[in-house]
Amino acid sequence: MQKYFKRARVAVALLFFIAILISFFDVKGNLPSAFQNSALYLQFTASVLKFITPGTALSIGFIVVIAMTLIGGRIYCSTICPLGILQDIIIFIRRKFTKKQQLRFKKALNVLRYSILILTLVSITFSGVLLINLLDPYAIFGRIGTHVFQPAALLINNFLASFSFLSLPTIEYSPFSLSAFIIALAMLFIIVWFAGTSDRLFCNSICPVGTLLGFLSKFSIFKIKIAHSTCTQCGKCQTVCKANCIDIKNMEVDETRCISCFNCIPVCDLSGIKYKRLKTVPVKTPDNKKGLQRRILLTAVTSYAASKAIPFNTNEISVTEEDLYFDRGPVAPPGAKSIEHLKERCISCHLCVAVCPTKVLQPSFLEYGFTGINIPQMDYNSYFCNFDCHKCGEVCPTGAIITLPQEEKHVTQIGKVHFQVELCIVESEETSCGSCSEHCPTQAVKMVDYNNDLTIPKIDPNICIGCGACEYACPVTDPHKAIYVVSNPEHLIADKPKQEKIEFNDTEEFPF
Amino acid sequence: MKRREFIQKSIGVTAGAGALLTTVSFAKAFGAEKPATGPYDLVAVKGGEPDEMFKKGIAALGGMEAFVKQGDVVVVKPNIGWDAPPERAANTNPILVKAIVEHCFLAGAKKVYVFDNTCDEWTRCYKNSGIEKAVKDAGGEIVSGKEKKMYKNVTIEKGKKLKTASVHELILDSDVFINVPVLKNHGGATMSLTMKNMMGIVWDRGFWHKNNLHQCIADFASHQKPNLNIIDGYNVMKRNGPRGVSVDDVANMKYQILSTDMVAADTAATKIFAVDTKKVKHIAYAEELGVGTTDLKSLNIKRITI
Repeated sequence: MQKYFKRARVAVALLFFIAILISFFDVKGNLPSAFQNSALYLQFTASVLKFITPGTALSIGFIVVIAMTLIGGRIYCSTICPLGILQDIIIFIRRKFTKKQQLRFKKALNVLRYSILILTLVSITFSGVLLINLLDPYAIFGRIGTHVFQPAALLINNFLASFSFLSLPTIEYSPFSLSAFIIALAMLFIIVWFAGTSDRLFCNSICPVGTLLGFLSKFSIFKIKIAHSTCTQCGKCQTVCKANCIDIKNMEVDETRCISCFNCIPVCDLSGIKYKRLKTVPVKTPDNKKGLQRRILLTAVTSYAASKAIPFNTNEISVTEEDLYFDRGPVAPPGAKSIEHLKERCISCHLCVAVCPTKVLQPSFLEYGFTGINIPQMDYNSYFCNFDCHKCGEVCPTGAIITLPQEEKHVTQIGKVHFQVELCIVESEETSCGSCSEHCPTQAVKMVDYNNDLTIPKIDPNICIGCGACEYACPVTDPHKAIYVVSNPEHLIADKPKQEKIEFNDTEEFPF
Repeated sequence: MKRREFIQKSIGVTAGAGALLTTVSFAKAFGAEKPATGPYDLVAVKGGEPDEMFKKGIAALGGMEAFVKQGDVVVVKPNIGWDAPPERAANTNPILVKAIVEHCFLAGAKKVYVFDNTCDEWTRCYKNSGIEKAVKDAGGEIVSGKEKKMYKNVTIEKGKKLKTASVHELILDSDVFINVPVLKNHGGATMSLTMKNMMGIVWDRGFWHKNNLHQCIADFASHQKPNLNIIDGYNVMKRNGPRGVSVDDVANMKYQILSTDMVAADTAATKIFAVDTKKVKHIAYAEELGVGTTDLKSLNIKRITI
């Protein structure tokens, strides 16, 4: 019966992988958000972050994962983690198309993996979720999905769409973010390299989630074990172990690195290796851990000091009081509450970027500072935030962007409009324009009478929500937009536009 | 455009033989008394629901058959610029759009396309305006206006400010172009009417806003003339246009204007809206370029009250 475990694992893994991939291919945000929510519910880090964020839906996916691990080991790593499954796919392809290479037992890189885990946890106190952002497997996969897989899928779709008999719609490409693309591509290369040369080494030496779940696996009820009585030490199991954790010489399996992929079970003709219920063994702590911790602490302190020594967003460029364009700060999406909150929760999986229907949400580079690298920001050159849409908040798996009810989204002020009249077409060219006001959903930018039957924008920042429609639509480019949004680092609540029902007296006669 | 020029010339040559077909007033051409019957230069409908208003209105213009011939490819261009529901009147009424598409098919159209180069994200506009469904229900095809490669450069010969524009292929290639704006207030262009609605068939609107919006609107109207214009004045956004803030901006005025003359149609619309026609500068600019006439008294107008 255990012979079928592997097939079941593959089936479940593919199911998760495809669902997660589809989540990231939802270019226009057309899928019901519940789809993304369920596909990603068990993503470990995201679930933890969402759990500790007040005002979000109940997020206990990580508890399920912990429970799963305590029962059967690192099932997360082989069936739920998209980056793990991606590596399995790469390993599968490699082994299919190259001379079947026999896998070997390797020693665990304990110092490396526990240092990374500890450093990641310790670093939260001074650089927020930066290391989680860079190392969490789901976040890495998300960035690859958004910036490599999604454009690739669109390319293929649009190529096929050029054959009219297929009657496929062409889909617009999302704005290209060079920094995000490079980071995602670099991560993809690293993953391909790891999987192509060293199997699941990434999961067993770098990935902090893998290390943590590996540690928990010591206590799991079911483990892969070699039956000393039946095993002939033929080593077949070892040659198919992607985690390189079967030590056939000593007939031992390193449960901290076993990802419960069950590859080993069906290859054994004698049922000598099995998933078994076992008593837990006492935990052996690596001897050098204390010294290591001290070193880590030291590194942490120095890097913290260093990060303070090089401040970002310096205000050295002197600007006139009026011109805030180059000093208006990054704008966090509605539901992020504040830039601080966003930085504390966002692991840059970029799901919001992938599904934002207008593509106003784009990855930042260093706009939020180094510790906020790649976190999404509102980019009003790409587009503007749709008044009635809150897809980003609906899909965010970490609670970095909280789902806002429609009415609250309508008044959530993420920034304020700023107007430089001297740059405005109406003032400089003395011709009509009104592009900004045209797009403004609250009429915080309103056209009022001006010289010679013209109308000119008048702003009311109190009812502005910072959606950026005015900035996007403004035709002025030299030296920059005449109207733009200045960020609210803390999001505020805007006043509702005052509206009275328009009066209309019907007449019997035609007016002409 | 060509038809009218041809007709105008033929009036001169064959003493009014062609005048029965034309939409330009022969009353004006001959200085004669206004006839009590058609053909009409402009039809205005008041009261009723958008579809029945259209039915009566188009009948007065000789039916859709006067515009759409058997096997024609038709493109209908409503205003679908905003992600707003029909009752907000930011977009053309979907019931009207549906009725127009249906009439096109009844007149023998082979294909009816509908599109707009929207302001808000286009898929949301198409969906939430109710127009996507209306078009599909009527058997028409709604296509994206956001594919840049679909836009082809044209030269605006009479253009004062606007010398070239990128126009959607469907407009250039279709046999019949029906322009269906919604009557509304507009912060920048004062009013959004037939000529303003044409901004949704070009790609680079930013240039227009930068280079004397009113003149550009008029310039483009001198180049591209719809075969028929239908102004939807059923629900009218009286202020905060063109997007509007809420339904409070909207008055249920129940008007509809049909004409081949954009200038005349827009002039009539300003009167309904009770705004000084002169304030909507592109109307006068367009008249100057010979697009049409603001002199409603010179026109043969059919007024229908339901």
